[in-house]
Amino acid sequence: MTVITETASAPARSTWLTANVAGLVLLLLLGYGLVPLIGSDYLMDAVLTPFLALALAAVGLNVLTGYAGQVSLGSAAFLAVGAYAAYNLNLRLPGLPLLANLVLAGGIAAAVGIVFGLPSLRLRGFYLAVSTLAAQFFVQWALTKFGWFSNDNASGVIDAPVIRIGSLTFSSATGRYVFSLTTVAIATALTARLLASQTGRNFIAVRDHEVAAKVIGVPLLRTKLLAFGVSSFLIGVAGVLWAFAYLRTVEPAGFNLDRSFQILFIIIIGGLASLRGAFIGAAFIVVFPLLLSRLGAAVLGSLFDSGVLEMSQRIVIGALIIAFLIAEPRGLVALIDRAVAATRRFRSTRS
Amino acid sequence: MLLSGLTTPLDVLALETWAPGTARQVLAAEPSGASAPVADGARAVLRLANISLSFGGLAALRDIDLDVAEGEIRAVIGPNGAGKSSLLNVVSGLYRPDQGEVWFGDHAFRQVPTAQLARHGVARTFQNLALFKGLSVFDNVLMGLAHRVRAGFIRQVVGTPLARRIEAENRAAAEDVIGFLHLQEVRDRIAGTLPYGLQKRVELARALVARPRLLLLDEPFAGVTLSEKQELAQHVRGARDCYGTTIVLIEHDIGIVMDLSDHIAVLDYGRKIADGPPAEIRANQAVIDAYLGVAHEDETELAI
Repeated sequence: MTVITETASAPARSTWLTANVAGLVLLLLLGYGLVPLIGSDYLMDAVLTPFLALALAAVGLNVLTGYAGQVSLGSAAFLAVGAYAAYNLNLRLPGLPLLANLVLAGGIAAAVGIVFGLPSLRLRGFYLAVSTLAAQFFVQWALTKFGWFSNDNASGVIDAPVIRIGSLTFSSATGRYVFSLTTVAIATALTARLLASQTGRNFIAVRDHEVAAKVIGVPLLRTKLLAFGVSSFLIGVAGVLWAFAYLRTVEPAGFNLDRSFQILFIIIIGGLASLRGAFIGAAFIVVFPLLLSRLGAAVLGSLFDSGVLEMSQRIVIGALIIAFLIAEPRGLVALIDRAVAATRRFRSTRS
Repeated sequence: MLLSGLTTPLDVLALETWAPGTARQVLAAEPSGASAPVADGARAVLRLANISLSFGGLAALRDIDLDVAEGEIRAVIGPNGAGKSSLLNVVSGLYRPDQGEVWFGDHAFRQVPTAQLARHGVARTFQNLALFKGLSVFDNVLMGLAHRVRAGFIRQVVGTPLARRIEAENRAAAEDVIGFLHLQEVRDRIAGTLPYGLQKRVELARALVARPRLLLLDEPFAGVTLSEKQELAQHVRGARDCYGTTIVLIEHDIGIVMDLSDHIAVLDYGRKIADGPPAEIRANQAVIDAYLGVAHEDETELAI
């Protein structure tokens, strides 16, 4: 018999768990306490708020692609559905509280996601990815074509209203950041709970071995559509944040295929089937261009203009995707885990 | 009346609400002229009646009849390509036979509804491992009870009493089987990282956790070392002895099943050429020929 000795014993597991909880609490304290106190408006407005919205979208896509194994290239479409749904709900039902609006907009995105998830019952892998492109193109076309969605604005642009909950308004950079942080934290916590339940196990079972899952009695149809629904709900809510908290003026062209790819890249670089990976990947995607432009300006001076920046950014990210897919398909989160484990081993051998 | 016990309107109604679609299949199967299930003594847990299956022009199974009594270990053996795996795939509903029925107890099916398999008390393993590689061993075993989770996903997220009770019951059952198959050591390991023999055992645990009435094992001993083979054989026998599970196992290797099985059916070219206790099979000339390929007078007939 093969005896495996490498397993973590029970107390080690619980300390690991408390370390995770402590890290999470620390991050939330940092996010709520320190950042609004000392962070500049630029940091919150141009870095942290888009980071949070993209991270939530990546969490949503990770539920579908990372956990349930259904590849989607339609994320930006669901962002757009969320944003435009929230805009229209706000416009046409003036009495609706913003939180109800947020949930309803997510629900509408979920409904659209489930419809475009129907092909997943027959298609998989590359073919499914191509069929989700239909969502991408259809939604963008519909939002431009039918003026009703943008209240008959000629170019389809919407101006998001000020975020207001009860008597509280979140109009400043700090306010919008705190609103985003709260929404993302709650949505992520609920998603984590879902993924730890039987539903989450069913997602992974469908991803890892569909026939075995079916034989065991996992309802394939319901599980796949649920994955599409939950994923689109989260991405829809992220779309509301993108439109209401970050840009405040959005047009359908802002939710193009590039955005879908960006979210897919976030989960590939950050780590598939990992909630932490979604956040790490989003942080990377947001911070990386800023670092690159600083670095470029320092090295090349005026030669490094915005065109060069954009091109070099694409080249580096493309190379990184290839590198990760070959060398570490589990993404940055796996690298970090390995580094943590290595330092811990190093410390324990020294002591 | 063949199915008089079952086809009263009330039973059909109950069956229809319990497993939609099956009652229709039961009714549709009834007048097809199949003989009644074995009436004598032990009731057949699994019964194949006149099963034929072909892929294009190639007949994979021809007129297979098979009765598996409650609590027995039944091996189905045969050379490569004899139709063993096809047989198991018919029983688990992955293939639809051209003719014939599959009976689970009193329920007959033209094509077994795969999604309802677990609810009929049937579990199976696969020839090439079908574990969920990204889940831990414990979660893999827990997946064997997926069909028992009646609480919807919102209830699971909120953690209502129903959802929590089901989860606790399932976890207890999974711990039980993990103990039974001595998997505690690897309980929290990711299944995909385990050695092959252990993965086989995890798959057995996943199939056993729901305490199936009928367990189908597709080449459980393929690709494992000799010592692992003996250990797995012990576990298979233990499953029958402790859980009362009826077991049908497909095997390529005739040696290992001789000690393990109560009855052995032998397939060759899609036909059942022998069926009986191991001693009888060992002495059967047709079986010896099928395995050794001895030239016989009627060889040309077999080769058709």
